[in-house]
Amino acid sequence: MNSSLPTAQRSAGLAPEANPVVELRHATISFDGPPVLADISLTVAPGETRILLGPAGVGKSVLLKLINGLLLPDHGTILLFGEDITSMSEDELFPLRARTGMVFQEGALFDSLTVRDNVAYQLVQEHTVLDEEIDRRVHEALSFVGLDETFSLFPDSLSGGMRRRVAIARALINNPELLLYDSPTGGLDPITSTNIIELIAKQRDVHHTPSLMVTHRLQDAFALCTHRFDTAKDRMLPLPKGQADPSTTFLMLEEGRLIFDGSLHELLHSDNPFVREFLE
Amino acid sequence: MATNQIDRTAKQIVLTVQEYSLFAWHSFLNLFRPPIYWSEFLVQADVIGVGSLSIVVLSGISTGGVLALQSTATLAAFGATAMTGQFVSLTMIRELGPVLTGIMVSGRNASSMASELGSMVVTEQIDAMRALGVDPLRKLVTPRIFSSAAMLFFLTIISDACGILGGAAVTVFMNHQDGPQYFSMAWEHLRHPDIVQGLIKPVFFGYILGSIGCFYGLRTTGGTQGVGRSTIQAVVTASVLIIFVDFLITHVLLTLFS
Repeated sequence: MNSSLPTAQRSAGLAPEANPVVELRHATISFDGPPVLADISLTVAPGETRILLGPAGVGKSVLLKLINGLLLPDHGTILLFGEDITSMSEDELFPLRARTGMVFQEGALFDSLTVRDNVAYQLVQEHTVLDEEIDRRVHEALSFVGLDETFSLFPDSLSGGMRRRVAIARALINNPELLLYDSPTGGLDPITSTNIIELIAKQRDVHHTPSLMVTHRLQDAFALCTHRFDTAKDRMLPLPKGQADPSTTFLMLEEGRLIFDGSLHELLHSDNPFVREFLE
Repeated sequence: MATNQIDRTAKQIVLTVQEYSLFAWHSFLNLFRPPIYWSEFLVQADVIGVGSLSIVVLSGISTGGVLALQSTATLAAFGATAMTGQFVSLTMIRELGPVLTGIMVSGRNASSMASELGSMVVTEQIDAMRALGVDPLRKLVTPRIFSSAAMLFFLTIISDACGILGGAAVTVFMNHQDGPQYFSMAWEHLRHPDIVQGLIKPVFFGYILGSIGCFYGLRTTGGTQGVGRSTIQAVVTASVLIIFVDFLITHVLLTLFS
């Protein structure tokens, strides 16, 4: 299914008039060859969590980098926080990127810095926050991901799952207005993956930060959509059978084209052959 | 088919030169636009300057010694062995000190910059830096380039001094000539243009090795193999460019001073 309706209007529980945090209009990008992404239009509304599905190599990570201005489209328009970033210089993009938290595929932690300095990187560079305040916020962010004990360690001494959690802490420390997760569970064991999904659900349900999560793992996508984070029990609990989180919706890419945009129910009942094949 | 290949390669070379020129120019401009990461300048000055000291001292002493050894045989034919000091000091200060130091330091630091930044590119650390609102050009590149230029200036002075001392050691202990005469000849025939020439070159060479190392590092593609490729390209290009620019600067300065 490739509906022409804006996603913000389709997503239950979201005000139709809400200005999207992210909006792509017919974005196309190529690297010395055929388009990696062609004519992509989508939106992320305030409070909305969008899960971008698709097999490896269809341009999911490229799409995230387009949204953050790390890559610029050949054609089309990208609005981030209502501002057209396609014509912006790198200097003009930095303030907008500072309002966005991004979790990279392998964490992308700076291996010459400690966990503290990695998580505090943005705050340290801003030169506006005192060291004591930085330490307090780093401890808070690390506690959120359950890794406070790694404060003084170097990324080399952490496991893959721990590195992803530190990367999430780094993305969260400046209270971002948008979160971009690039395959946060890729290559991890099921238990660690569930922990990461729990953190993403926690951020969604506690802070209501709009986000876009790229993944090719259906089990993670469905877990995020069919669970809620219970703050009293401090863990993720399943929603009643047949229910899905209304603010969590799906997108699917096939060979650089957006072939699906809709809710979990619509995804499960889609008659698109590629969607059916991907689900099966 | 062959024409297409030549056409593509030529365009690629022109594009690379254009990209490098813009890269080097923006890195230069960043020195005058905040934020300026002064602490990074100090760190890089330590890595490039102090870290390269041993290879510069050793290569300086050896080169000065070799110059003294080689020149003695030739000068003896004209009964001019007393000129060894002049020959060694002028050659070291005007030419071999800057060029050898530039090539030695580029072998050590252009490769290190290319591999370090290349690894950061392939592990998405550069993208992460940009995503966190920090410009890698200001944070990583500008400090490396200007620390290279500043440190190469001082390293060249050390290399010149070591070369002259190495030449003196060979002259006195192996050729059994007079030490004071060697130093007297080395000093008396030096002119200001020689020193100016010898101290302008390393600033250019430092800029070249720093900018080429960072340029190829940040252009890395293709994983760990790509990092290796970038490192080789950086060292080869920096060394060749240093020798070529040496020719240009020498020509310009000789014309000016004559």
